[in-house]
Amino acid sequence: MNPALRKLLRKGTPEPADIDALLAEQDFPLVDGPDVTFVFRGTVDEVNLRCWISGLDTAQPFQALPGTDLWVTTIELPKGSRIEYKFEVVTGDSRELILDPLNGVIAEDPFGANSVCQGFGYVRPEWTLHDPQARAGSLQSLQVDSSVFRESREIQVYLPATFRSNRRYPLLIVHDGIDYLRYADLKIVLDNLIHRLEIPSVIVALIQSPDRLKEYGGDDRHARFLVDELLPRMSDAFPLLDGPGARCLMGASFGGVAALHAAWRFPEQFGSLLLQSGSFAFSDIGRHRRGPVFDSVVRFMNELREQPGRPAERIFMSCGMYESLIYENRSLVPHLQSKGVDLRFEEARDAHNWQNWRDRLRTGLSWLMPGPAWLVYE
Amino acid sequence: MSPETPLRLLLGPQRPVVNLGDAMARCGIGDGPIGVISAGWQEAEGDIDDVQRLVQNPLSDLRIYQRTEDLFAADKCLHDAYRLRQDRLIEQQRLYRMRLKHLMVAARHTLRTEGGPAVVAAERRHAISQLRALDRHHLGQVEKLHRRFDREFNTDSYARLSEHAAAIDDALSRVETALVTGGNVVVLMNRLRLFGLDRRLRSKNIIAWSAGAMVLCDRIVLFHDLMPQGRRDPEIVGKGMGLLPGIVLLPDAAKRLRAKDLVRIELFSRRFAPASCMTLDNGSLLLFEAETLRDSDAAKRITRNGKFRRVRAA
Repeated sequence: MNPALRKLLRKGTPEPADIDALLAEQDFPLVDGPDVTFVFRGTVDEVNLRCWISGLDTAQPFQALPGTDLWVTTIELPKGSRIEYKFEVVTGDSRELILDPLNGVIAEDPFGANSVCQGFGYVRPEWTLHDPQARAGSLQSLQVDSSVFRESREIQVYLPATFRSNRRYPLLIVHDGIDYLRYADLKIVLDNLIHRLEIPSVIVALIQSPDRLKEYGGDDRHARFLVDELLPRMSDAFPLLDGPGARCLMGASFGGVAALHAAWRFPEQFGSLLLQSGSFAFSDIGRHRRGPVFDSVVRFMNELREQPGRPAERIFMSCGMYESLIYENRSLVPHLQSKGVDLRFEEARDAHNWQNWRDRLRTGLSWLMPGPAWLVYE
Repeated sequence: MSPETPLRLLLGPQRPVVNLGDAMARCGIGDGPIGVISAGWQEAEGDIDDVQRLVQNPLSDLRIYQRTEDLFAADKCLHDAYRLRQDRLIEQQRLYRMRLKHLMVAARHTLRTEGGPAVVAAERRHAISQLRALDRHHLGQVEKLHRRFDREFNTDSYARLSEHAAAIDDALSRVETALVTGGNVVVLMNRLRLFGLDRRLRSKNIIAWSAGAMVLCDRIVLFHDLMPQGRRDPEIVGKGMGLLPGIVLLPDAAKRLRAKDLVRIELFSRRFAPASCMTLDNGSLLLFEAETLRDSDAAKRITRNGKFRRVRAA
């Protein structure tokens, strides 16, 4: 049992005031080395810990502490882990998923928010936090007329703080770019990494699909949109460096599939790829079991595994160890390396979420687009 | 307007502690006008208001970065030749890095290994001599590429460069002291060389910090052990102005070097010997009269066995 709880129960049933004091004093969940204890207080019938971690039960039951209204459960988390979770609280016929009321640390995503457990040894990287010294880049809208999609699409463009129209810049294209801004602090990260000279001043096209599961799942239309429509539009509007070496495609989950697919369909267009937790589902035999939304992904991935080609010179891949896609990601690495792709793969003790993707941006971006820190002595 | 014996006042980064004003007073640099070279700041060249607040002397920037940009815009032939040279230099540096990586691994292993002292010592010496041979070869190749460019584009015979050089000479004729700021050391050295400033500054007092100090040495050594991808092997990138021969300057070493990795630091020191490797951290100072060290504060040199010792003037 966690030492703080053991102390609470040392003299038998604690008084409500003692429980109040404990809850006020401690940060929750209680982290004691690898043991993490989640605590819920309330008069309910059942509490479960729900975390979408491959390898753990999807619902871990809490135990009531006798004589109190406290519920607790303990799991073991390896050093450096970060997981997102909710509590499932059952009262009579009511079953409700809620954030941990005792934990103010949350992670937002397009579906809402989760509580965050920062395990022993996990520290949020300081370069993901606002640095008042770092000059802020700017965001502006750009319309891209698309004959492929038969509509005009609005994208956001990040310009570095030092932007000058008479200089030329590399281009980074980010799938789900608005989500990256909202949930992975991408603008802060770009400002900080540019300020630290760890990446060059870069122009970033932040694209967002109205139907990402379809368009990002190995859809030729999306690849054509990127190459035939977005790239020329960006080149017209901004001073970009020429050539694939100055172009990087990036995406997470289905966005990773979209990036890899576009580079595979149009080799020599993008010099580097940053693929985070790519949904690289495939089947060696028979039907896959990931549902119909993955049909086109599996078709593309099976084809790519047969003929990987060389989608880009350099690829940085990352994936959480606690997501089911770790298997697919690990297995893609040797396929691409065997074709001479300079590939780095980083695994993290995290799952399929935006903060995992945020935390890997420094190593990924600075490897694919190294900044001038090496040459600058201020 | 030149001093009898030029001073070289070298400082570390001017953040967070600024010691420029105090150092100038300590070294007896007068209050005459100073020509500033801030080309290492690239597009921010000339933003010297912060510097002006620290010193009484009137400052004027020589604008050598902007002069180059103007030349490139006006002279396609020069610009193309410059780009071609830069592409070749990048390629040369890539090949050097490729070979260096393996020699560095071998040298580190040799320094770490144990065995009969005489046998091991001989292998260590040889491993380091191989590194030095590669460094010499690389420096020679880099210099060849520069000379090929310089033969056609120099301030003596290329009219457009001559015009700018004359303007720079005119500005320098009115100052006894030049101040070279930090920034991108390669950009800075390239632009100094383009306008022949490696020769033109020789007779002036020079105050320089960080990259500005590095370019005064005979070799420019890039180093950074704390990059996002981890440590990188130190690389020679080219010749400096050669005003302080036999010294390798390491600005901001406290933040860029893994000082506790004794083998790494020892290798650094032995590889560049007999040159003396000296740190220039924030707040430190080295003062040379011509090539003779006269004063120092908080600067350290690396000993042959990888230790840091305070630099003491004779």
